[in-house]
Amino acid sequence: MSSFDYSSLINEETAQQSRSIFWDPDIYQEELKQIFNRCWLFLGHDSQIPEAGDFLRTYMGEDDVIVVRGEDLEVRAFLNACSHRGNKLCQAEWGKTKSFTCSYHGWAYDTSGNLAAVPLEEEIYDNLDRSQLGMVPVARVQNYKGMIFGTFAQEGPDLIEYLGDAAYYLDVVLDASPEGMELMGSPYRVEIRGNWKLPVENAIGDGYHVAWAHAGAMRVVGTIGQGRSDTVLGIGKDNATFDTTGQVQVAIPPHTILSTLDGQSGYALYDNPGPCIDYLEKTRPSVIDRLGEVRGKQLYGSETHMGIFPNLQIIQGLNLLRVIHPKGPGSFEVATFSMADKNTPDDVKEIITKHVGQTFGTAGILEGDDGDFTEAITHSADGYATRQMKGWLGMGEGRKIDWEGPGDASPGIVNELCQREFYQQWKRAMTASNVAEILPTQTSNQKGSK
Amino acid sequence: MAKKKVVQLGKDTDINTAYQIERFLVAEARILDEERYDDWLTYLDADISYQMPIPINTYRRNRPSNTTFSQTMIYDENFEKLQQRAAREDTGMVWLNDPMTHHIRTITNIESFCTDDPAVYDVRSKFTLLRSRRNRDHVSHTGSRKDTLVKTSDGFKIRSRLVHLPERVIIDKNLNMFF
Repeated sequence: MSSFDYSSLINEETAQQSRSIFWDPDIYQEELKQIFNRCWLFLGHDSQIPEAGDFLRTYMGEDDVIVVRGEDLEVRAFLNACSHRGNKLCQAEWGKTKSFTCSYHGWAYDTSGNLAAVPLEEEIYDNLDRSQLGMVPVARVQNYKGMIFGTFAQEGPDLIEYLGDAAYYLDVVLDASPEGMELMGSPYRVEIRGNWKLPVENAIGDGYHVAWAHAGAMRVVGTIGQGRSDTVLGIGKDNATFDTTGQVQVAIPPHTILSTLDGQSGYALYDNPGPCIDYLEKTRPSVIDRLGEVRGKQLYGSETHMGIFPNLQIIQGLNLLRVIHPKGPGSFEVATFSMADKNTPDDVKEIITKHVGQTFGTAGILEGDDGDFTEAITHSADGYATRQMKGWLGMGEGRKIDWEGPGDASPGIVNELCQREFYQQWKRAMTASNVAEILPTQTSNQKGSK
Repeated sequence: MAKKKVVQLGKDTDINTAYQIERFLVAEARILDEERYDDWLTYLDADISYQMPIPINTYRRNRPSNTTFSQTMIYDENFEKLQQRAAREDTGMVWLNDPMTHHIRTITNIESFCTDDPAVYDVRSKFTLLRSRRNRDHVSHTGSRKDTLVKTSDGFKIRSRLVHLPERVIIDKNLNMFF
């Protein structure tokens, strides 16, 4: 067991978190082991690698990983490292191939990870057993409705068990039609000098910062900026009022949900939401048929942030999917994809991809604001006295609201329930002595679940 | 690599036009450095297309597939969107730019070519954009641009700009500046 005093790092009673969790290099190494080497991590989507030989690269923690569809159409994932000397086997970001050939000595692996060819093998080796020198596989790769996840853990819960009640919410994006969701285009990738946990909790739960941190953008985009309404996501002009009515933050440990539940405000930040709303309303009856009233009427089309522990965020309405990759205690890389239901008409898809770029892409007018905060929070803790400080996430504590979906709900998207849950889950994963203990022992509120 | 043909981009403009175009691009860089965004908007054609693609890091001989990975734009703006970005900068509520963010744009390797339309020029240039803010955020971005300039009675206007910034992972927090 570890030497960290987790009860003082994360104090659920006071809703305080030690600032050192964003700074301490030893805690970071423990995170790579306890969280990123054991949890189910998002790798990619079927739509990105539909054919045999299609591959993409991503990270699991700091490990460079190749995800590839083999000749048998199975998706596998491997460490991007040659069994011989460890050089990267693939330097391309994505593509289609019959083999991965190391650029150092030319060892070649097939798309199932087998070592297929070694230059001069007969002439120089008497002791080489190719069957023992394949690419190192990610222990388990499983798929939920097109979403490919992997884990380094040989044992422990399967993906469906790990997702748990989050699947109820994910289905609003993944299962709104028989064809399901697809990712669109190449991801925006930005590296920021900040700890990986900060962009995660910001995206899954921080409704409080929206109107103030992004005040400049809010003046020019969306319902307020475009003069369509005096509020955006329940927040009034100039951050002066807030209406919690009909909004929730939901704890479904290890995951979280934030939603406006009004069925349309996912498009509140769009300048030209008309065609998106038209498509939404045209498809709503069939979504109600597939997923029922709660999801079809309240969740479909709402601003809904789904936080899948540890580092995946799916944001409906804004229609983006983000993965946060840690890069040392003081840096992370964010990869942001556009997403839409496959049946979405091309003109609506184009509005969505442009909107994602203009708001949360590399030059997005909202995304650009947040990097400053994450850097400051992380690196001001370089100071010994500063990192003795605690962060506080007490907002909305004790406020409960009835909610028909699974999970325990608290009212309003300006609330800190999701962020508190994230740190509680972080503590749970860090202290879990085996993989099964990463999941909470008591199952959450199951009402409304399928 | 396969041998590539030398591509003839077009007939060179006359020296006076080339000089005027160079002065135009340099003045544009200066007014952007000076945060004069309303003035900058007058340099743009109302039908401007302003784009910056993400560099694609696939193998040179990438095989075709039905993957959804594709060309994706960091900037894909029309005049209204650029106006919106300029208006955001002018709100005084972009906290990242207060204290002021400093920009130094250097425009060089300017090539001006004639097109089929005598009032339209194909202009290529290279740039370095240094952005400096706070104590230590000094990042220099170098790239190339392909512009279409239109000569009007009110001077040149930028009808299209395609910016190539060869940075796959951006290490400067964001690219919220005009190139």
